[in-house]
Amino acid sequence: MSRLNDPNAQARPASRSAVLPVALTVGVIVAVLAVLPAWSHAPAAGDMTAVSAPADPWAGFNRRAFKFNAFLDRAVIGPVARVYKRVTPAPVRKGVGNIVSNLREPSTAINGLVQGRPKLTIRAVARFVANSTVGVLGIFDVAGRAGLEREHADFGQTLGRYGVSNGPYLYLPVVGPTTLRDGLGGVVNTLIDPISLATGGPATDFAAGRVVVRGVDARADADEALRTINEDSTDPYATTRSAYLQHRAAVVRESTGEIEALPDFDEPVNVPPSPDEFSPIPPADAPTPLVQGPGS
Amino acid sequence: MILPPPPDRRSFVTSLATASALAWSGLWSSAAVAQSGRSGRNLPAEQFVQVEGQNMFSVLSDRSLGDAAKQAAFRRLIDRVADLQRISGFVLGKYARAISPAQRQQFNTVFRTYVQGLYQTYLANFRGDQLRVTGSTARSPTDTIVNTVIDGAADGRALPVAWRVLGSPGSFKVVDVQASGVWLAITLQQDFVSTIDNARGDIGVLIARLQSGD
Repeated sequence: MSRLNDPNAQARPASRSAVLPVALTVGVIVAVLAVLPAWSHAPAAGDMTAVSAPADPWAGFNRRAFKFNAFLDRAVIGPVARVYKRVTPAPVRKGVGNIVSNLREPSTAINGLVQGRPKLTIRAVARFVANSTVGVLGIFDVAGRAGLEREHADFGQTLGRYGVSNGPYLYLPVVGPTTLRDGLGGVVNTLIDPISLATGGPATDFAAGRVVVRGVDARADADEALRTINEDSTDPYATTRSAYLQHRAAVVRESTGEIEALPDFDEPVNVPPSPDEFSPIPPADAPTPLVQGPGS
Repeated sequence: MILPPPPDRRSFVTSLATASALAWSGLWSSAAVAQSGRSGRNLPAEQFVQVEGQNMFSVLSDRSLGDAAKQAAFRRLIDRVADLQRISGFVLGKYARAISPAQRQQFNTVFRTYVQGLYQTYLANFRGDQLRVTGSTARSPTDTIVNTVIDGAADGRALPVAWRVLGSPGSFKVVDVQASGVWLAITLQQDFVSTIDNARGDIGVLIARLQSGD
């Protein structure tokens, strides 16, 4: 039985035996991430050089995962999201999106604290309290209407704020685009998420349901963008990678306040080749190195 | 694509007339440039985006236009407002210098049609119809990022969109548009360069794909 289904479970404080593995896991991940700056393929400007060749040493694996997800999306996820969009009235979808978003506020508050952004923390706490009560469990974004605009923070962003670079780009089956930093940051985020901890951890039915609802909601929202990418891109994989990395760089800039470094439109961009860019796409059965060292 | 009716739509003709009036008026721009220098903003560029960006959304949300008329009107706007020549060089990235003059001409023709359609799809996806300028950052006297918010979408959300504008009053051109941190031209460059890389440097493959709409 999951902890959520156990009527006594929620009243129990997290035991030391449960906290220790979480703390150890978080510690190991942070230690791994600490070496990422040395792994970065990006120049000293870090995330700011949006058009430098992306660090994609695992392109072979990534492209196969991309194909797999495209198949999965055509067969299952896309149709489910479109049916959800078709049968659910827009106000209901908006309410569901608000609930999902509201459950991220405690995590935002913690990351705001770690990032040294007390205003963000205070706003997230205020939003969570207002929307969970007056906003009926987060269905209505009453805080937003009162001027407390939504701004999420996550552990990947926190790491970026403190100078940890993206590391290699990673495209995972089912999960989709991420980077080594953001992927491991996501794991830490899940482990330290107050909502997750308060409801028994990431292995409960509640946590699984939350992931599914969040996924379907996000997929429904992204339907048109994905269609545009698939129909208009000459290389949907490269387009997805570019859009994801630019978006995450923008998220990190939100936390640092840095101004984006943009390429010059007068001169063609002189980019060094990445391993992905000067070699043809490897055949599907070619072995893919899962780990490569610096400079690979 | 069905777009929500705008609550207070300015007609396309009115917007064009406004744009023309602004282009002919030098008084406001000189004063605005002087103010820009003090604030780090570029008010003439902001005005340019306010007028021309609004024109784009007005065309996209104009239900009185049929699909063909809407497409034609939008493409004329893009031709006037965007610097397609400069964008077409930019999106080729490291291949811009390697391309032959004949291929370049062929690419420019194909790219123009492609990017006109892409801008139309991209901006229509925002599903808004009212554009508000919220500020700008002058990166140099001739390079400005204008920040706007698109209102009027069915879900009530205001969407921030940034426009990169090059040039000076009277010769402003849009070279890139950004939403959710993603620049359209930068994304296109990485898309195209990857396609050419995977074709072992054969730019003809990219041109063929753009032509066929793959």
